[in-house]
Amino acid sequence: MKQIMIIEDDCSTREELALLLKNEGYCPLPVMDFTDIRRLAEQERPDLILLDIGIPGRDGFSVCADLQKTMDVPVIFVTGRDSGLDEVRALSLGGDDYITKPYSVPVLLARIKSVLRRKAGASEPDMVVAGGLRLNLAKGTVSSAAGTAALTRNELRILACLMEHAGEIVSRADLIEVLWDSKIYIDDNTLSVNVTRLRGKLAELGLPELIKTRRGMGYQL
Amino acid sequence: MTIREFLSDRLGRLIFQTVFTLTAAVFLRLTGTEDGIILLLLLFLGFCWAGMQGYDFIRQRARLEELEAIMEGLDKKYLFAECIPKARGIYERRLAELSARAGRAMIGEVSDARAAQREYREYVESWVHEMKAPITAAGLICRKAAPDIRGKLAQELAQIEAHVERALFYARLESPEKDFLASRADLAEIVAQALNGHRVLLMQSGMKVETENLSQTVYTDSKWVSFMLGQLLQNAVRYRAVEPVLTISARQLGKQVRLTVHDNGIGIPSHELPRVFDRGFTGSNGRARGGATGMGLYLCRRLADCLEIELGITSEAGKGTTAVLTFPARSGYGEFSQESAESMEAEGEE
Repeated sequence: MKQIMIIEDDCSTREELALLLKNEGYCPLPVMDFTDIRRLAEQERPDLILLDIGIPGRDGFSVCADLQKTMDVPVIFVTGRDSGLDEVRALSLGGDDYITKPYSVPVLLARIKSVLRRKAGASEPDMVVAGGLRLNLAKGTVSSAAGTAALTRNELRILACLMEHAGEIVSRADLIEVLWDSKIYIDDNTLSVNVTRLRGKLAELGLPELIKTRRGMGYQL
Repeated sequence: MTIREFLSDRLGRLIFQTVFTLTAAVFLRLTGTEDGIILLLLLFLGFCWAGMQGYDFIRQRARLEELEAIMEGLDKKYLFAECIPKARGIYERRLAELSARAGRAMIGEVSDARAAQREYREYVESWVHEMKAPITAAGLICRKAAPDIRGKLAQELAQIEAHVERALFYARLESPEKDFLASRADLAEIVAQALNGHRVLLMQSGMKVETENLSQTVYTDSKWVSFMLGQLLQNAVRYRAVEPVLTISARQLGKQVRLTVHDNGIGIPSHELPRVFDRGFTGSNGRARGGATGMGLYLCRRLADCLEIELGITSEAGKGTTAVLTFPARSGYGEFSQESAESMEAEGEE
């Protein structure tokens, strides 16, 4: 299980975030004491750190710089301060991503997933495998035992999102939010159209019933 | 100061001196002085007096011109009293001292007001950042609520966020140079930021978003532009009609980049169009629907001025509204490299 360290001073956000990450199948490590974060990180060896810039005592930037000195751990900055300078500083200090509060939950999860995947192995090709399908993110193709089909940008992102959450129900709203984060602005109707097309292509690959509609809840692979 | 003004200023003294001199002449005449001598004396006195007045006039006028030149050259006019050369006469010196004291009191007041304003700005900024924490927490807690409640809460939270954001930018406007960070930015990124910031609002209103040709490079502060776009998006949602569609497109206009945000909403009556950028102006639509603050477009205009973006709004009642942002020409270095790259590409294609 991937461990995610949560460095966040707001108590209710920290608790809710921990709960959320736990439900998503991660092992959250909420930090209460900000005095020696480096020692704590070295002890626990998390796979990812969610770091609030505005923690009391010292600012998140110096914490990050400190961490990067001894460890190669991906850091996602989370901040309530929405200024361009902060973003530049955060990314130049070795942060892997930068999210401003208040964030959308599906987008946060998608970012966490992508940072973890990026760190897992840059050499690994961008492949997602689930439900008898192999999705090649770089080429935009999906293949099964029966053959290969090319996907449009929208279909690719929808299928990738569903495959990453294989077995779970992904609500339409969450799906739309994640797509928006990838600059695909589709509305409810367009989503239906795209899913229908996607089903058609999967049917050609011999998997017609792969994407199930859960009425009133969303889609499920 | 003209000679006429100078003399009319001294009219009382002039009359008094004339009366006094004439009385003296009458007295001399009565005591038996010859007419010739009296005439000579009068001429002499008159000559002396005219000479003195002339000298005073020239001196005063020169002094005034000097002071006016100093005033003209001053950037902060209220520092005038500190900058004038030392006065000669005791009377003028005292006057200068008094005005210097008044000036110093004024400077004190000004710097107090500045400090207060800065403190207030800092407070608003930190307040905004602190507000983000509970909004985030509420958003996370909201996930556990029933779907219908979740949607409504998310919408309310989005409203709070929008108001908080406006407060932040209003505070920042007071000293724009402090936050302004112009850099090379991709218009598509900026639009994505704005759309993502208003995703709840846009999705729940059923707004269809179409983007077109947004991969343009602009040199500007992306946060500010994204805030401005956010205001336009909020307006598009608030004044939407049935089947709302929002079209965001860009195109290159010579060295400038023009971004167009078009909606098919209820539009703005033509007689209200000239006032939409006024502070606090809500218009008939705003009053009819409620919730309008009259701040969004006002802030947009102020920010656009700082960023040297031309901002224009056209609208047809019942058909929709179009906002056009024209970004200034690219700055020196970037422009060169960009264009040379483009021309090289073009050559390669041939």
